[in-house]
Amino acid sequence: MRNLGNPHRATDGVPITRRDLIAAAFSGAATLFAPVALRAEEESFKFGLTPVFLSNDLELLGHLRSYLGAKIGGQIELVTRRTYQEITALLVSGQIQSAWICGYPYVQFKADLDLVATPVWHGKPLYQSYLIASAGRKLDDWAGLKGDVHAFSDPDSNSGFLVTRALLAENRLLPGSFFARSFFTYGHRNVIRAVASGLAQSGSVDGYVYEVVRETEPDLVKQTRIVRKSEWLGFPPIASPKSVSNDRRVKALQQALISMKDDAEGRKVLALLRLDGFVATDPSLFDAIAAKVETVRQFG
Amino acid sequence: MKLLRRFRSIPVSYRVPVLVALLMVVISAAISERVLNRLSRTQESFLNGLAETYLDGLSSAVVPAVLRADVWEVFDALDRSSASYKSLAPIETVVTGSDGRVLAASDPNRIATYSELSADYLNRYGPDVVTIDKTKLTGFAHRDLVYQGQPIGTIHATFDVSHLFAERREILVTLLVTNGVLAALFALGGFVLVRQMIGPMRVLEDHMRSAAHGAAEPISPREIPAGDSEVAGLFRGYNALVHAERERANFAMQLAEEEKLSSLGRLASGMAHEINNPLGGLFNALDTLKTHGETPGVRDTSISLIERGLAGIRDVVEAALATYRPERSRRSMTAADLDDISLLLKPELRRKRQRLDWSVAWNGARELPIRGGPVRQAVLNLLLNASAVTPEDGTVSLTAMSWEDRLHIEIGDQGSGMPADIAGILIDQDPGPAVRAGRGLGLWMVRRVVDDLGGRASIAAKSGGGTAVTLTIPFNREDVKAHAA
Repeated sequence: MRNLGNPHRATDGVPITRRDLIAAAFSGAATLFAPVALRAEEESFKFGLTPVFLSNDLELLGHLRSYLGAKIGGQIELVTRRTYQEITALLVSGQIQSAWICGYPYVQFKADLDLVATPVWHGKPLYQSYLIASAGRKLDDWAGLKGDVHAFSDPDSNSGFLVTRALLAENRLLPGSFFARSFFTYGHRNVIRAVASGLAQSGSVDGYVYEVVRETEPDLVKQTRIVRKSEWLGFPPIASPKSVSNDRRVKALQQALISMKDDAEGRKVLALLRLDGFVATDPSLFDAIAAKVETVRQFG
Repeated sequence: MKLLRRFRSIPVSYRVPVLVALLMVVISAAISERVLNRLSRTQESFLNGLAETYLDGLSSAVVPAVLRADVWEVFDALDRSSASYKSLAPIETVVTGSDGRVLAASDPNRIATYSELSADYLNRYGPDVVTIDKTKLTGFAHRDLVYQGQPIGTIHATFDVSHLFAERREILVTLLVTNGVLAALFALGGFVLVRQMIGPMRVLEDHMRSAAHGAAEPISPREIPAGDSEVAGLFRGYNALVHAERERANFAMQLAEEEKLSSLGRLASGMAHEINNPLGGLFNALDTLKTHGETPGVRDTSISLIERGLAGIRDVVEAALATYRPERSRRSMTAADLDDISLLLKPELRRKRQRLDWSVAWNGARELPIRGGPVRQAVLNLLLNASAVTPEDGTVSLTAMSWEDRLHIEIGDQGSGMPADIAGILIDQDPGPAVRAGRGLGLWMVRRVVDDLGGRASIAAKSGGGTAVTLTIPFNREDVKAHAA
């Protein structure tokens, strides 16, 4: 197998050694026993990722799959979708075993979901939502955004929609009347791009994503400014449906996430995510978000 | 016309290269026009193709987003496509929805989302796929977005086409430089070629020019090109002409010499006769002296007779010497020169029993400022001719008269008249034809003398029959020339 996998060895014309033959025999045996092993295990473990962060970062996905595969064992399938809604639907319906979702869908489907772990950012499992506008704009506070074309991230995003919607509701306002127009970009980074390019005059964005993009793409963020930061809210958690609570892999996943900072591969993932680690948190961490949902519901 | 005349006055070795260069300029202008025209069409079809591809690609990317009026997706598609279609150099792309409002523009700061496009923007398209604004160096294209037969929006695209014009300009410059260099090279080549072609003509011209000045020289064999049969033929023809002309001239000179000798012979025989006549009387007188020398009367008479006879012989000899010794021919003319002529002519006249009417009206000066020798020679020739054509017992006449600054001499005969071609030798501008025919060589000598002295000859028929030849010879011709020099 090594020979076949190594074109240089093959073209070099070096004769096959005894070691090569032994290695080939062992790998052949492994191939023979593999289906038995797979049958013993359940189907592959599906882990969903919302476009919270850099869903297009193939390097991150590679490291994450590799780390989770090593810790959980068996086949790990990372499932990405364009919208929060799609991932939430897959999760709630049990089609995926676990997913990194937003606090907003978590509180909406709290009854059907278990918290697995919550990321820790700057030492706490908390983050903020930002209201941003283009860098050159003179604004005293968020009320100056009235009449804007506003970019939201996702209708199921806490920081990219719910926080702003709740802020308006607290002030007896609706997005449709406060903003001239609004649209969804289905990605926090896209909100920054929309505001930076002038496509939208203001936007609602995840504070964590904004700060990370400030590091990775300072030129993009420089074209925008923060108008308002929300209070600290529960960081988008990793949840799994209650229907799979007995699956040992969910426990293994929780363990893998919490111990991620102790592993070299795990630290690579955390470094790419700019996170400190993961902790097991109480559902009450998301009560503030649940309150916002209630505010919006009451205002209509 | 004036320009054409001036152009024709330019030497051919410059005219041909100029014509070649002009021709090249015309050809290159025509070619350049064709090339640029073709290029322009190729560029336009290329641009149209690119624009079509761009619009096709963009349409399929944005149609779902336009259907949903998804501002972000439309913008994202525009943003990504601008990087994918760099060869088209899109400047600005705008997607409008079914209501005509902007969904997204590639530069939202310039054209805001949800704004309406100006009428100028909507009316800038021509019938072609891409409409080009040459002043702004931009191209415009638009595509209606249709879904299930329903119009759902439009893509408006603006491209930078300055590179097309830059390419055209570059090709034009390349054409101009290339054609300019070619024209210069062709002109230079034409110049060298023409110089080479007319080189032999120049050789011929030089030879003909020197031939006109009297020194006709054949073209040396070294100058005759070996390969060029036409030029070689021309040169050989010219050489044959020179040789023939030389032979003819030699022949004419030979004839002239013979003529001179024949007239000399006639004169010599006349002179011998003239000397012989008194010789008989002289010998008789000598015999009388030997026999009766003691008798005083007889002796005196005989001595006187001998003295007169010898004086007659001396006169004849002196006249001949004066006429035929070149060193004497340069002295000025005197009345004695004419007397010598009558003396030299006398034996011939006597032989033909002819009479000489002699009328000399000298102006009293001892000598005239005219070279005597050549005049004597000419007049003697004319009188001998007159005697030859006048019948026996006829009259030959000579009238000489000096008047103002010239000398007129008229020689008359009683002949049947002078043939026109012979007369031409004396009076025509070109005495050539008759001379070349070998006739009238005596008259040709007269003509040369008259021309040499700057005079002229005329011929007239006399009222009583016969011909009168008049020579008019100006004074001081040589002196004037000498002073002028």
